[in-house]
Amino acid sequence: MLFAMLAKKNYARNLQYRSSHLVHNVASFIFGFVYVSIWIGIGESNSLGEYGVKGMITYVAFNQACLWLTLFITNSLGMEQSVRTGQISLDLMRPVHLFYHLMSKEWGQIFYQFVYKFLPIYFIYFFLFSLQVPQQFSTYFWTAIALILAGYICICINYLIGVVSLWTTESKWLFWVNYAFSMLLSGFFIPVEWLPGVFYQLSMYSPYPYIQYYVTRIYLGYESYSVLLGSVAWCIFFTVLCLAATSIMRKKLEVQGG
Amino acid sequence: MEMRMYFMLIRASIKSRLQYKFNFIFSMLMAMLLNVSEFLMIAFVLLKFNSIQGWSIYEVGYLYSVILLSKTLYRTFASDVHHLEKYLVSGDLDSFFIRPIPILLTLMSQNFFLLIGELLQGTFIILICIQHFHSIGQVDLWIIPITILIILAGSIILFSIGLATSTLGFWLTRVEMLQNLTEDAAMNAVRYPLSLYPNWLKGIFLTILPLGFINYLPALYILKQDVGIWIIGATIMVACLCLWLSLRFWKIGLSRYQSTGS
Amino acid sequence: MIEARQIQKQFKIPVVKKGRFSGIRTLFSREYIIKEAVKEISFTIKEGDFVGYIGPNGAGKSTTIKMLTGILHPTQGEVKIMGLNPHKERRKVVRHLGVVFGQRTQLWWDLPVIDSYDILTVMYKLDKKETEKRLSQLTELLGLHEFIHTPVRKLSLGQRMRADIAASLLHDPEILFFDEPTIGLDVIAKKKIRGLLKTLNKEMKKTVLLTTHDMDDIEQLCEKVIVINDGQIVYNDSIPQLRNDIGLPTIMKVSFVGDFQTPTIHHNMIQIIERTNSTITIQYNRHQMKAMDVLNMMQNWGEIEDIHMDEPQLEEMIQEIYQTPEASKESLVVS
Repeated sequence: MLFAMLAKKNYARNLQYRSSHLVHNVASFIFGFVYVSIWIGIGESNSLGEYGVKGMITYVAFNQACLWLTLFITNSLGMEQSVRTGQISLDLMRPVHLFYHLMSKEWGQIFYQFVYKFLPIYFIYFFLFSLQVPQQFSTYFWTAIALILAGYICICINYLIGVVSLWTTESKWLFWVNYAFSMLLSGFFIPVEWLPGVFYQLSMYSPYPYIQYYVTRIYLGYESYSVLLGSVAWCIFFTVLCLAATSIMRKKLEVQGG
Repeated sequence: MEMRMYFMLIRASIKSRLQYKFNFIFSMLMAMLLNVSEFLMIAFVLLKFNSIQGWSIYEVGYLYSVILLSKTLYRTFASDVHHLEKYLVSGDLDSFFIRPIPILLTLMSQNFFLLIGELLQGTFIILICIQHFHSIGQVDLWIIPITILIILAGSIILFSIGLATSTLGFWLTRVEMLQNLTEDAAMNAVRYPLSLYPNWLKGIFLTILPLGFINYLPALYILKQDVGIWIIGATIMVACLCLWLSLRFWKIGLSRYQSTGS
Repeated sequence: MIEARQIQKQFKIPVVKKGRFSGIRTLFSREYIIKEAVKEISFTIKEGDFVGYIGPNGAGKSTTIKMLTGILHPTQGEVKIMGLNPHKERRKVVRHLGVVFGQRTQLWWDLPVIDSYDILTVMYKLDKKETEKRLSQLTELLGLHEFIHTPVRKLSLGQRMRADIAASLLHDPEILFFDEPTIGLDVIAKKKIRGLLKTLNKEMKKTVLLTTHDMDDIEQLCEKVIVINDGQIVYNDSIPQLRNDIGLPTIMKVSFVGDFQTPTIHHNMIQIIERTNSTITIQYNRHQMKAMDVLNMMQNWGEIEDIHMDEPQLEEMIQEIYQTPEASKESLVVS
């Protein structure tokens, strides 16, 4: 199966860099540790709503680990670079749909990051802060589904960023715009309901809460799986967008003559 | 003389940059957006809860902008010290050796980039904070020269840490991930009062990565009067020591240089 | 001018581990492969010499040049440029050096050529008036006026090379290092560059060390040639001497009018390579026999219609030198 093959190859490619990724994990761990410490500090003199200090620690720690499955995936799925080198026209000529091809590859990346980043980072937090874990199997199941949908949304967003680079050659700026917005609106550091009015509205109408906030809420047991309907809706919306973008891109390349 | 040379190279660097105006402006706007959103992230939390361990939003804003302005100075005037890895991988460092000026100076002057966004944002926030402290009588106007002094010392400390990390590249070649730890993660951490952290982490920021001397310790004197003015002297001493050590280390690294094609 | 005394350069390459946690173990491992890029070489280059420095890829050519310019530190031995150590007194030494790397420019990529010269004038603390005079001289010699206000990134390779050469001459150095200055150039541009290098040496009295893979460069420019292979000097003398020493055979192809007869007893200094109905190809060694003697002899075989002679090419002679048996290139040392 092509999907499994592409994913496996990309997973294996990453394995070579395990040791340098270890240093990266330490950095990522420190980032999350700082955020947790801030909430502990705030919790000393404030009530932290339905979460409580304990819940907030889990909230931030889980979010920090999740970043490796959502926000920290390959910039534009590598399309920006292949546009610059001209590789893109070759990729479009393959008998597989470009979106399917790149998405399959990226799942390998995400799975690698799950094993070598998400798990180790979360394990350390687990022991360091003696985190509470869900008791019911169904919670794990729905969290996994939520994570997969979140990863898929992020893949789509990065694919669209890559498509734009065909017109602007540079699409790093879009990657950073996405990064900045998701930092503010995905609720990875501060739960969305605590955002000031305008930003709360903005967040609610964006896909960002579905890549961090709701996932973590399901994991913590504050949200039922019905919220995943929203994730699915966003996934469908983005899939349509990606397919449309590919056909526009194909036309443009044909006009240019490759 | 060296200074004159350095500014001449900086001028050449700016002129080169301006050849790509669109890119120049765009990356500036992007950096601004990123920084603003980073700051908003903290601001939202403080707006909701008013203070962290007795540090008000203005006090945290002061910590934040001192470190931001120090970083702005460091990255503006020594941009490519942070990108030494690129020169090591491509072998472009070779051509720096055949010029009659210090190699570090050449490296510092490459790809000069004025971080206008950071500069404006940092100055804006720090002025608001200082204005607030002054209006409630928390500080007198001495805060201004002292703040400038610690920002300068801070930029030297950050420069030294950046240089030392890059210099490790002479042995390891790839240091990007390490920089993520010693520069990005460390700077992120000291935006907040160090008292939040357990002793081991606090210890790191007061010893091997002495970023605590840039904003937290001076703020204890300037804003809280918890410690004496000597802490400002200590900050300057630490800056000098870091600079000296990192320059020594750089020299050792250079003599280890293997060039590419090996 | 240039003196290399028993210089050696070894590179330590960490042994890459395999298996579990390989990356981390490599990082902390003390096992290295010692690669001897240069294995003790010595040479002297005198003032006014034009020396070619050649060798196959990976022979240690660029490592040597890098040691001469102070980029690399010799593991053993000493380099002296005009009596100075290029590593310890780098900033003094480079004032006497002009260096051109064919593969990368030292000019400011995005700026007009003239801007680079302005910067270099300040960098080398040159006298303004004198530099202007030199620059107008160089402009004429190198034809810089065509592109002096063009950004470097828009120059053709040949133009860029000329601009780079001018930059290396601006501070009037006594010694010039050229590392593959003709690489990637077309025939006309190559010819132009060669003419230039010749002028620099003959008229401006510069000492030149040239590395190249193009044997025509060597043949047309150099008086002396140093050949390095596998980190050792295998030849160091003048080019005519090289021809003598190697003694490759000359090839002669003779066609006869009608039939011809070869003697049944062979002359032991002549070898027949090929024979057809009306032509014969032989090879002989010029040290042992003169061409005239060979012809005289062949006249007895039949009526000669045409002759064609092939002298051994420098390229073949160098190949002959390269093919000396190689010692093992790497040795494992655990330290």
